[in-house]
Amino acid sequence: MVIRIAAVGDVHLDEDVVGRFRPALEELSGHADALLLAGDLTRHGTESEARCVAREFGGLGVPVVTVLGNHDHQCDQAPQVVRTLEDAGITVLEGDGIVLDCAGGRLGVAGVKGFGGGFAGRCASDFGEPEMKAFVRTTTDSADALGAALRSLDCDVLVALTHYSPVPDTLAGEPLEIYPFLGSYQLGQAIDSAPTALALHGHAHHGTERGATPGGVRVRNVAHPVIKQAYSVFHLGDHLDQAQVSGVGASGIQQSWS
Amino acid sequence: MTEHRDVATGPPDEYVEAEIHRLLTEDPAVAEQGITVVRRERGLVLYGEVESPHRREEILRRVAERFPHVPITSDIGVIRTQAPTEIEELP
Repeated sequence: MVIRIAAVGDVHLDEDVVGRFRPALEELSGHADALLLAGDLTRHGTESEARCVAREFGGLGVPVVTVLGNHDHQCDQAPQVVRTLEDAGITVLEGDGIVLDCAGGRLGVAGVKGFGGGFAGRCASDFGEPEMKAFVRTTTDSADALGAALRSLDCDVLVALTHYSPVPDTLAGEPLEIYPFLGSYQLGQAIDSAPTALALHGHAHHGTERGATPGGVRVRNVAHPVIKQAYSVFHLGDHLDQAQVSGVGASGIQQSWS
Repeated sequence: MTEHRDVATGPPDEYVEAEIHRLLTEDPAVAEQGITVVRRERGLVLYGEVESPHRREEILRRVAERFPHVPITSDIGVIRTQAPTEIEELP
């Protein structure tokens, strides 16, 4: 049983980017069971930018599932952005999940945007000024929603999709000082509360691809500036044994795709 | 964004660096959080990657407009969008 997942985040679409991803996306159908987008689909979160996303990522022949990112909230038009994406057949998750019937089994995806706060031992606390408490509670509420959504899904392979990072591992390369604005350990805790197979996030443009939660769930930063390709592809399932963790397709997919 | 008072020597470099960094994010024509501003002996260097050549040009234009007397060098790239050549197998 193999489920094939394509993923990218932080594509920041506007008119000037429309068409850049499309040639690679046209190759997707038949080689991936779903495309997951890890937020920051737009530059400023306007309805017109969301229409660009719909044109670029709509009608691909595979289900497209996304969360929003911080950029997608900039112009306070998130409801219009969500509606535009959903009209194009893109599923937008925020504290909920979806189960997709794929050839290799049922793929469950639970998602939230997430929020900052930092990581164990060096994080913000729910204490002090109202602004600080609101900040930390936003993170906690988001993580709680992610955990509940992950635990609610009945599926063969479970994937967590966020914009903010659940671990510091995949932030390596970013200045340490801004880690609290890039993710929070509570997201990792939520991911570890369910039998999650893979966690995907974006947001950290200078981060690195691979990490793991304290509970051992593999985490991948799929921010476009990090993966430096239109999307990454992951094959998940019971087709490999544990010794083959993070193996890379022996011949690559360029040969088999072209 | 806080404006600097004009003084004979201009604002300290660190404040200029901070202002440029905020400009890159907060200016609607730019809205980039992934650009690094580095102070060098001969001026400021901008590093990072953006989604289109237009955005790279716009960053330089806006920064030069706001800080006409600061020497700026750009090493900003446009992120590739080719299909992947490898897959990652996860058990």
